[in-house]
Amino acid sequence: MSQSSETPTLRFSPKAVAELESLKTHYPNLKACILPALWIAQREYGGYLPPEAIAEVAFRLKRTPAEVQGVATFYSMYNTEHKPGRHMIEVCTCLTCNVCGASGIVSLLERKLGIKLGETTPDGMFTLHGVECLNACDRAPVVQVGDEYHGPMDEAKIDALLERLRNESQSKVVQLADEIVQVHLKEDEREKARQAAESVRG
Amino acid sequence: MGECKLLLRHSGDPAYATLEGYQQRGGYEGLRKALAMDRQQVIDEVKTSGLRGRGGAGFPAWIKWNGLPKQKTKPHYIICNADEGEPGTFKDKQLMETCPFLIVEGMTIAAYATQADVGYIYIRGEFVDAARSMRRAIDEAYRAGLLGKNILGTGMDFDLHIHTGAGSYECGEESALMSSLMGERGMPRLKFPHAPLPTISGLWDSPTLINNVETYACAPFILANGGAWYANIGASTKNSRGTKIFSVSGHVNKPGNYEVEFGTPLMELLDLAGGVKGGALKACVPGGSSVPILNAEACQKAIIGYEEMMEVGSMVGSGGCMFLNEHTSIVDFIWRTSMFYKEESCGKCTPCREGTRWMFLILDRVRSGQGRMEDLQLLEDVCRQIDGRSFCGLGDAAAWPVAGALKVFRHEFEDFIRSGRSHAAKV
Repeated sequence: MSQSSETPTLRFSPKAVAELESLKTHYPNLKACILPALWIAQREYGGYLPPEAIAEVAFRLKRTPAEVQGVATFYSMYNTEHKPGRHMIEVCTCLTCNVCGASGIVSLLERKLGIKLGETTPDGMFTLHGVECLNACDRAPVVQVGDEYHGPMDEAKIDALLERLRNESQSKVVQLADEIVQVHLKEDEREKARQAAESVRG
Repeated sequence: MGECKLLLRHSGDPAYATLEGYQQRGGYEGLRKALAMDRQQVIDEVKTSGLRGRGGAGFPAWIKWNGLPKQKTKPHYIICNADEGEPGTFKDKQLMETCPFLIVEGMTIAAYATQADVGYIYIRGEFVDAARSMRRAIDEAYRAGLLGKNILGTGMDFDLHIHTGAGSYECGEESALMSSLMGERGMPRLKFPHAPLPTISGLWDSPTLINNVETYACAPFILANGGAWYANIGASTKNSRGTKIFSVSGHVNKPGNYEVEFGTPLMELLDLAGGVKGGALKACVPGGSSVPILNAEACQKAIIGYEEMMEVGSMVGSGGCMFLNEHTSIVDFIWRTSMFYKEESCGKCTPCREGTRWMFLILDRVRSGQGRMEDLQLLEDVCRQIDGRSFCGLGDAAAWPVAGALKVFRHEFEDFIRSGRSHAAKV
């Protein structure tokens, strides 16, 4: 058994460090912080979890990169395989959506973006995925982009959505990670993180 | 019988998601009454109410609440399973987004009854709106002294955290959820009787109560009005008490969440959802993708109740109710169902990991026109190899819909194989 004796390059911002410190108080041990820490890392690393991000999470939680990688790869929302585009468009193709026109939505999106499910547009703007049930079946067919659910989708809504996303100032992939981190934190914890972020600018 | 808005009564009123609005509409009356009782009395009220778990299993809630040790030697935990992932189900989403305080109050009542110090709401990662809503409510509750130290001046301490998932249906399974909460891959753990119940040893080897969102949301009403009052609702059924929220979707005119009294006929639920759309009713999956499919004839007979649904060959399950019209290919529908389970199988045990994959491959072959008559027997054999033999309920949940469809719509599968295509009525 070998253990790396080198500290990995640490990229967490002061805000992220403060957030992680707060999260540690929510659980009786550091291992339980792995999932929320991965959300912080996904935000800090631009919407993606490269090996360096896994190594940083492992280092900060005194776990091994192998363990953290094992956890990260289990969950579909952690982007460990490839760096996604700026925005990820996820189309539910599951039961109700399937009988309510999901395949038509997939076809429209594939045509308009010029890519197939699973691919990213050459300009790096959009990644398109088919996903399992988003559990908003009353609005079938449903599409998720970051923290937004859209449905019932039709061509007009697709066009409006793509237009808005093209002009969106922040990557929805990164924003999603941030929103998820924020819901974990109590009011005073969010304030501490804000102050940590401010102290850098000062 | 019929629609009975208890949990969802104020769902359309944005003020209900604020502490002031919630309290004006009776909120926190339940907790105040609970705190004035012995813990055992609180559990007795839940027992009298007849409340059964609303996540899908329908297990009597009081047995869990009563299961944590009365002599406390370790921290006690409570978990709200908000990983709503059962296809067709979206009731917990609405509850969290529009009635967040029902869940906070319900969990606080449960925490009092079980002497829990810390609670976690495990919310699936996709449900950001729901998580934000719960966050706002929890923040308000802390500010008002309804969470944290010395709740309502009674000396009760209870800390409530939000913990999100990251994309995994299996994490809705109790033991897999606990694995995930503890920082692991979402794989299930050995269960009773081979291992202690979670109420004895759950999170971090400590006594843990875990219930569904809707189950906790019922608690404020039970404590405010009494278990006997609650047990009066649904009393026409064998053993199903109170109301159940059904998420109705598919080929209906008004898809949405509808809360009904147990004992309501399934067809009345269909009426509430505006009736079937685009053609005659062909089939219904009444309780989430895992439950056996009903044909139109069975739908006519079906009454909503845990035992009553089993009489027509299906289940209440999560209440995720999908209605399908005559233009639906059942083969296609079951093919997509099998794909879901194949994708979501955690991979831990052979019957499920291999079985869900083979069911999908066989159905894929049938759907692409390459099916053989022997495939139907083969599918049934695979179902039998999974059902009751997998490490957790996902295996059963994958086998039941396939076996069920082959029983009820066998002719459709046979026609499809013979001709290589669907014979569902053309639009």
